Amino acid sequence: MFFVSCYYDNEEALYPVLNNLCDTTNVTYSGTIFPILNNSCLGCHSVPATGGSILLSTYAEVVGSAPRITGSIKQLPGFFAMPKNGGKLKSCSITQWDIWVRNGMQNN
Amino acid sequence: MRRLSLTFLLALITLGIFAQDDLMNIVNQSTPNEINYTTATFKSTRVMNGHSIERMQTGQLDVRISHRFETLNSGGYNFFGLDISYIHLGLEYGITNWLMIGVGRTEIDKTFDGFAKFSILRQSTGAKEMPVSVSAVTSVALKTLKFPDQNPTNYFTSRLAYVAQILVARKISEGFSVQLTPSYVHRNLVATELDPNDIFALGAGARLKLSKRVSLNGEYYYIANPKTYLSQQVYNPLSVGFDIETGGHVFQLFFTNSRGAIEKQFIGETTGSWKKGDIHFGFNISRVFTLKKHLKSSNY
Repeated sequence: MFFVSCYYDNEEALYPVLNNLCDTTNVTYSGTIFPILNNSCLGCHSVPATGGSILLSTYAEVVGSAPRITGSIKQLPGFFAMPKNGGKLKSCSITQWDIWVRNGMQNN
Repeated sequence: MRRLSLTFLLALITLGIFAQDDLMNIVNQSTPNEINYTTATFKSTRVMNGHSIERMQTGQLDVRISHRFETLNSGGYNFFGLDISYIHLGLEYGITNWLMIGVGRTEIDKTFDGFAKFSILRQSTGAKEMPVSVSAVTSVALKTLKFPDQNPTNYFTSRLAYVAQILVARKISEGFSVQLTPSYVHRNLVATELDPNDIFALGAGARLKLSKRVSLNGEYYYIANPKTYLSQQVYNPLSVGFDIETGGHVFQLFFTNSRGAIEKQFIGETTGSWKKGDIHFGFNISRVFTLKKHLKSSNY
């Protein structure tokens, strides 16, 4: 069943709009940051999984872990590269995270 | 009554002795014409990460639990990587003496995998001389990690990757075995145009017996595709470690620069470098259960 389906796809060609469109003006916790965390982090970093004893389900927890999140999602040396289930966050998501941190990590 | 039963018993014993003589004769006569298949080229069905020439015997179930921890260079605060582990669970079964199948689940990318290993040639001496054992492995990996965005071009096929391997192994002496593994990996979806959908690699593995229960194993895969200019720099996976056999279990303890335990991941997605110290401690535990007694003991 599986062997009839061989494709030569790449994400750049398959998702062209997503790669070009990055909203860097309306970056909010509820509208931007939480969806990123929910998609890529909360699978492990929420009760009951609590990967690495780090929780990211509430605003306060995210603010408390913000420096480590920055290092991990940028996969800087000295930090655990995250998400560990493969790949790296899209550069747009990392840019939006930086903007949110620079704007004072507001709970908006 | 007692005499009768005694006579009967004596008769049985005599018969038994005669039968044994007959069997010994048959064994002695047939020895020169027998094919002596080489056994235990490797201890386990894996060299370290990758498949070895060994298969499960008919009716035997192998329950495998594998861990790869984080890198040694992640520091003492993270207990040199042991704080975080990547787990692979596997159930593998010998259907016939030439075919085994297996299914597994890896934490990385929430991947399910299935494989089949076919025996093609067996190393033997005696009536049939065969210098090497040859097997073929095909496997499929299904990534079940959620797509990051809802999108009409999120195809199911994007989740699949296929692997085909030929295993050529030779037990050179009682304590030393080698294996070459030409491998092909196809990924339906890769990150960028620069990443290859097809990967060609040549694996090499070896086993050196140190004692009756312990052996030193090494495994290396040379990837023929360019490894730079990709969305992520990848490296050739190298693993070195020990097989330790205890009663009923085989423990494989090793150091590797790969965090994936299945072919698609350690051939295509090894981002760690030995030179930089991205070395993962890892282990496989294998426990074999006999579900069906096999009639012939000649298979290995």
